[in-house]
Parts: sequence; structure tokens; C-alpha cells
Amino acid sequence: MLHQQRDGPIMRMGFGGKPIDYAAVEALRAAALELADDPEVRLLVLDCGSPGAADDMGPWPSRLAHRRPQGSHGPGPLPEQEAIKALRAFMKPTLALLGGAVSGLALDFACVCDVRFASSTAMIGDPRILQGRAAATGICYLLPKLIGQSQAMRLLLLGEAIDAAEAHRIGLVYEVVAEDEFEERASALAGQLASLPTRAWEVHKLQVLPQLDLPFDAAMVHSLGVRQTHVIEDRLEGMQAWRERRPPAFKGR
Amino acid sequence: MSEASAFLVEDDGPVRHLVLNRPDKLNALDLDQHVRIKSAVEAASEDETVRAIVLSGNGRAFCAGDDLSAGAPSGPDPLIGRRVDLDLGAGPAFLLESAAVLRACPKPTAVLLHGHALGSGYDYSLSCDFRLATENVNYGDPRIHRALWAAEGWSYKLPRLLNQAAVAPIAYLGETMDGQTAYDRGLVHRLYPPGANLRTAAKPFLDALAALDPTAYAETKARLLASLDLDFNQALAYSP
Repeated sequence: MLHQQRDGPIMRMGFGGKPIDYAAVEALRAAALELADDPEVRLLVLDCGSPGAADDMGPWPSRLAHRRPQGSHGPGPLPEQEAIKALRAFMKPTLALLGGAVSGLALDFACVCDVRFASSTAMIGDPRILQGRAAATGICYLLPKLIGQSQAMRLLLLGEAIDAAEAHRIGLVYEVVAEDEFEERASALAGQLASLPTRAWEVHKLQVLPQLDLPFDAAMVHSLGVRQTHVIEDRLEGMQAWRERRPPAFKGR
Repeated sequence: MSEASAFLVEDDGPVRHLVLNRPDKLNALDLDQHVRIKSAVEAASEDETVRAIVLSGNGRAFCAGDDLSAGAPSGPDPLIGRRVDLDLGAGPAFLLESAAVLRACPKPTAVLLHGHALGSGYDYSLSCDFRLATENVNYGDPRIHRALWAAEGWSYKLPRLLNQAAVAPIAYLGETMDGQTAYDRGLVHRLYPPGANLRTAAKPFLDALAALDPTAYAETKARLLASLDLDFNQALAYSP
């Protein structure tokens, strides 16, 4: 089950600390697609606290039923992949909250977000290899890009769970706070992110993510193309506020 | 301010110093200054007496970023003859080309970061081979706080110099770093005390750079940069 709570420009969703089933995965995919088109939404917050995939993830989304050969996931797309792809294509800011256990599939979702924020008591890892399972969710692509191959191999091949301080040390999480301050600070951070010129964030992200896979020359042409095709209204406010020596009030347009 | 005084080219033996010299503007960059940097890097690359190229700034800051108060550029259009036929606009778009020229320079390149090292100054630093900073430098890319999104090549370079995780605080959140933070992240290679004269303090490092075998350096650098875009077998077969 996926919890969803809207607070102005911020949409917060999460798994409630419970194992993740296909219904939650499908709801997450659908929400990411819908929110991408909602101009009033400026930030997606995902509570990633969860022990990972449920032992029985339940029925597949009906729209993918025809893709599942007897007894096997087959070549995909897996419902998990579809949700990960929807989140990666979501160009507004995404904030992952890491409290409690963040394991397996929950780590996949955390790693596809832009910023990871952790409680000091969080335990983060991917034990799937210890269960004789290999993740096919894109984590083998995402994690080396995020923290380098060396630490990615440690997490994915050893199945090691690490605490929040260690996750911060290796760059996996942006900030760690004490558990009793976690909610308050998470809300403040969400508010801060939602008040940024989120269109500018989008245009940054629109360059970074594809250019992870592009050679240098193609990346430069890509940046020129992005520059040519995106207009950010908030830029006028940014310049005006600079001239008037006041804090800007961005609208995310 | 005349071109001659706004941008200084000084040789210290085989080390060529390219010095931003608009201290009253904290060395903020207008289009003319971008053009001077590109031309000077191209000239130094061709000059056989030059064995290392160092970018720095006079006064209280290396570079405060783009000069938001700059007027129209002077002189002929520096974008004439560009290979990509797009309407690039003025200023920052030219930075994409000049930063690419700096990155492709076959000689050792370094940047000395003190005071403020922000925005387009930060962009240039990512194109250098080595970044040397004071502990109290104010370094990074806060442009997002003015909705001044940047498209000058950092989006390719930063995730490769460090990793993708570093993009969030630096580019998405626009947080600036002090020298120690940048050093801890691996972005800065040498750290010097607050207030240090970097040109003096870094001289042993810069002289050592200039003493390296130029052919071996150029070939290694070319392989390293090309290998970022190649698969393993292609990288093995690559020859500059």
C-alpha cells in the first residue's frame, strides 16, 4: 500500500515501513506520471522506510499481465522497473526520506531520487544477494553512478547493511539527523526544496541524467539544445530580486 | 578597463599564469573575459615554451561568477565560425566553448581558488586538471538561487570528476563549499591556509607539473578523457 499526502506544492508518499507489494509499486508509478503533469506540484517526497519487497508481492498490474510468462518474470518490463523509470523521468525535485530499515527494493527507489535524507537510526542495504536473488531494477546502473563502483560493489555483492553515518560518509545520503529531529528537519528540507526555482532544478536534472550516458561532445550539444528549448519564468524574478537586494519568491514556472 | 589590464598573461619559467584582473568586480566574467580566456589557452597550448597553464584571479576572489551587470560585448562576434549553428545568445553560452577548449588542452592545467570561486568561475575550474584552494574559499555553483540555470558542461563533468551523488548539494541545492569540504569530496587536490598567496604557496606543485614529460602527460590525459566515453575494449584500443 502506498500512503499519499499532499501539502500544497509537496506530495509525500511512502510505504509506511511495510513490505512493498505490486499495488504500491503500481500506485507509485501512476502517481509519478500524474504529478509530472501537475504544475502545482513542485516536490515529490518518498518515505523509503521499508524492508523491501514483500515475500508475496501480490497480483501483477493488470496492464502488464500479458507480459508474464508462466512461472517467471520473463524479460520484463517488471512492474518495479516501470515505477523506477517513472521516477527517473520525473524531472521535478525528488527527496527520499530514509528512516528505519531501507532495504532492497526500497533502496532502489531511494537511489532514483535526487536527494537522500536519513535518520541516524536508519539501516540501509541490499540483502537480495544473500537471499539468492539478483535485482533487476536498475540498481546495478544507479548505484555505481551515485557513489562509485567501489562502494556499489560492496553494497550489492556483499549484501552489507550500513548505518546512516556510513551512508553519509560514502556520499549515499545528503544529510543525517538524530531520529527525534528527523520529521521536523525533513519537513523543513522539503519546504526549502519546494521553494527553490524548481524549473531550474528540472533543467539541471534534464542535463545531468542523460549526460551520464553521453560522450563529452554529444553532452555539450545536448546542453546547447536544452538551453535553446527551455524557458524559465523564475529567471526574471531571480534577476529582479538580485537587483533589488531582496530574497526571490519563485513560482516553479 | 582595457583588455591588457583586465586579463594578465605572465610566465614564471615554463608555467604560464592566466590571471583574471578585475578585482573591483571580484573578477566576475563578462563575454570579453570569456573570449580572452579561450584565446589565451589556445595560445599557450601552441607555445612550446609553456609546460603548464594556471588560471587564477587577482584581488579578494578568484571569480564571483558571471558579471550580471555586464553590458553588450565589444568587438567582433566571437561566435562566428562556431561549429554548432545555434543561436547561442551572449555570455554564458560562449563559456561552453571556452571551457571545452580548456578541458581539451593537452598541457597540465590548474586553477587557484581563493575568496569566491563561483558560477562560471567554478565551471572553468571543472575543466582544469587540478584544483588548488585555500581552506576558506567559497566555492561552488549557487546560480540556482537566482534561477540562473547553467548549461555549460558542468552536467557532464561533475558526475565524472566525483559522482552523481555530489550533484545534489552542489548543483541542485546550490550549496557552496569551503576548501576542506571540496577537498574531502575529492574535488580539490591541494589545500592551503586561509589567506595564503596561492601563487607562492602552490609554486612547488606547479613547478612539478611543468617538469613532467609533456608527451607522456598529453597522451595520458587524452586517454583518460577519451576513456570516460569508451567501453573497456575501445579504451584498450584507443590511441590519441
